[in-house]
Amino acid sequence: MKLRRFAAVASAGLLVAGLSACAQAAGGGKAADENWPRKGKPIEIIIAFDPGGPADSAARLVAPELEKKLGTSIQVVNKTGAGGQVGYTATARAKPDGYTFGGTGSPSVVVAPLDPARGAKFKRTDFRPLANQVIDPQVVAVRPDSPIKTPKDFVEAGKKDPGKIRVTTTGLQTGEHFAVADLERKTGAKYGLVHFSDGSAQAMTAFLGKHVDVYVGSASDLISQAEEGDLRPIGIMDTKRSPFFPDVPTFKEQGFDVNHTTIRGYSAPAGVPDAIAQKLEKALSEVLQDPKIVAMIKELGLEPRYMSGKDYEAYWAEQEKNYTSLLPITKEK
Amino acid sequence: MSVINDLLGGFATALSLANLMYALIGCVLGTAIGVLPGIGPVAGVALLIPVTLNLEPTSAIIMLAAIFYGTQYGGTITSVLLNTPGESASAITTIDGYAMTKKGRAGAALTIAAYGSFVGGTAATVGLVVAAKPLGSLGLAVGPPEFFSMMVLGLALLVCLAGDSMTKALISGVIGLMIAMVGIDPVEGAPRFTFGNEFLLDGVSFVAVIVGLFGLSEILNTGTERPGKVETPGFRALLPNRTEFRRSNPAVARGTVVGFLLGLIPGMTGSVSALLSYGAEKRFSKYRDELGSGAIEGVAGPESANNAHANGALVPLFTLGIPASPTIAVLMGAFLQQGLTPGPSLFVDHSELAWGIIASLFIGNVILVILNVPLVRVWTSILSIPPAVLTALILVFMVVGSYTINFAAFDVFVMTLFGLVGLGLRKLDIPLAPLVLTLVLGPLMESKLRESLEISQGDFSIFASRPICVVLLLIALVIAATPLLRPRRRKTRSKENQHEAA
Repeated sequence: MKLRRFAAVASAGLLVAGLSACAQAAGGGKAADENWPRKGKPIEIIIAFDPGGPADSAARLVAPELEKKLGTSIQVVNKTGAGGQVGYTATARAKPDGYTFGGTGSPSVVVAPLDPARGAKFKRTDFRPLANQVIDPQVVAVRPDSPIKTPKDFVEAGKKDPGKIRVTTTGLQTGEHFAVADLERKTGAKYGLVHFSDGSAQAMTAFLGKHVDVYVGSASDLISQAEEGDLRPIGIMDTKRSPFFPDVPTFKEQGFDVNHTTIRGYSAPAGVPDAIAQKLEKALSEVLQDPKIVAMIKELGLEPRYMSGKDYEAYWAEQEKNYTSLLPITKEK
Repeated sequence: MSVINDLLGGFATALSLANLMYALIGCVLGTAIGVLPGIGPVAGVALLIPVTLNLEPTSAIIMLAAIFYGTQYGGTITSVLLNTPGESASAITTIDGYAMTKKGRAGAALTIAAYGSFVGGTAATVGLVVAAKPLGSLGLAVGPPEFFSMMVLGLALLVCLAGDSMTKALISGVIGLMIAMVGIDPVEGAPRFTFGNEFLLDGVSFVAVIVGLFGLSEILNTGTERPGKVETPGFRALLPNRTEFRRSNPAVARGTVVGFLLGLIPGMTGSVSALLSYGAEKRFSKYRDELGSGAIEGVAGPESANNAHANGALVPLFTLGIPASPTIAVLMGAFLQQGLTPGPSLFVDHSELAWGIIASLFIGNVILVILNVPLVRVWTSILSIPPAVLTALILVFMVVGSYTINFAAFDVFVMTLFGLVGLGLRKLDIPLAPLVLTLVLGPLMESKLRESLEISQGDFSIFASRPICVVLLLIALVIAATPLLRPRRRKTRSKENQHEAA
């Protein structure tokens, strides 16, 4: 009996002590939130991909403008590896004080935690999405002399000769793989997938060298070849047409509901105080919609599509649902 | 002759005082960056892109190309002087380069490296000017099956890298393949030998492995007894002597051809070129028996090859808009940020600029030589630092370098571990070159085999039905079979000798 009473008193005491500690922390935190960002304390943007790539280039364009808005220096740090997983882990686990946030791109950030074999140490709720910057839809392209001219032709061809048409992806469980798997599931067509795990340049080389028949890849990866007339895009997997290929129909227009895009935005680690997150979101929304930045992003072959933190979060959740249902298909042999 | 006119026009654009300044600054910056292991050409160029954003497109590309050349040469400096490759393409240079340093010929090695780089780079740029279009389609003829066959051929060169013992060379080669197995496999997407560690999902970092294998194990092996005790040589001793020059020429020529041709193939890396060039020296050089103990060919060949490769890799970029190597991908990013789309239309829409860039590649190569040959003296003076201090400095260097590969302490552990592995291999007298060869070729071979079989839907006859594949595989077979024939001949000869003696 005595013991139980002691336990009750002790826990009550602990509770009080804990609450007051919380209050103190919150009080101190508030002051820190208001002063954020402290002048002279740099903010790090973690980019999970190689320097010079699209994710890195976009961030390096944004950083100087963001510096002006926030009044402190901003450093872009590349932590690469495992298809972005290393960098995403670093962002998710960073101290949520607003001095570290990261570039988050889907499908990589969405897919990594879905497959337990990859041992990802983060999930969607470990991030607080701040803003989306660009969208890069999947495009299906053929050689200029191909009889396939529209998404309909492509689907018909995949039904007529199941598995005969060689289609590139940039590796297993990449955006391209999910996109084609989704199309197969929704239409009953079947393609012979060739996974170029070394990336899009290898896939493009094999396609131009006529070793494979159809190239599937992000719009930004094929703009230059399309301009040269080396390949012909036939369909876009987005809700609207790409500004780079205004004459190419979307799959949706032709009755196939497949939307597969790479989107790249910025997220802070979850738990970052609201006041700080809002300041970051505000600064990002101004910079990302600045006409000068928008024009520079377009020069890179990327389609700027700003989304607020809330919209980005919703888009992310939607993609997560889609990929979760597709994952078993991509593992079938 | 419009090509020559265009090129002269290009020189007119590129040869302004300001542009020369940018090229000079680029070379100096690049060399400084390249000297640090970990930060190779890719990161070097990428880090400095923001600096060039506000420049004129021609100036920006000139500066980046110069940085690129500089980083590549900087990597050679540490390979030769400190036995620590600054970047992956000069890994193989350490073997003979450092052996030359031990013999007091560091200056000659560095000068020949600069000379080979210049010849390789310039010849490849000439190739780009004269025959970009046909060369571009040559690269396209190499599909996954041909690529795979080429890797088999490269692997066959392993038999040439064997020193006294074929068994030991094979052990070394298998260790390399085993390390290459780590990471996500390209067949099922399943992690292999990663022990749940996400840093291993992409495989073991190549630069960390070679810095450990070569640099750290050397330090562990010799303790503080650095052979750097050679007194700083006088200026004349810095330059290669006539024999060294004469001997390096055929190696430079072979290296240039190997590097340029492989550079045309998207996906091939500069380290593959350097390795295969080293293999070619081992196979064809008149002085092949000296390779490994400080032969000039072992520096001249690979260094020409990796620079010819770097310039050859620009052919797919200019003809097809395909970034053939990671460094070229970064350069392509720089083009895009300047509002230029690389591809044949660049020569139509922005002809002046395109030719300006080509001219600047020539200029960059020249500046590299002018800048670095006099600096060889400065670099070699590093060796006059007291051994104890120098060793400590190199250790700091290797740790910082490994860390900066990916800003992860994990790579420092990898480097340390492979230092110990390297020490063990040295004690057992197992050569390191086969390990490096299989480590570089293994992953490429695996993914290309997989892609080939996906194209053929699992049918192995795809390799027998393509002429290029058949030829390559046959050559590989011949190379692999030669050592089986040679010792028998030697044995019979020694038997004959015994007979004569009796």
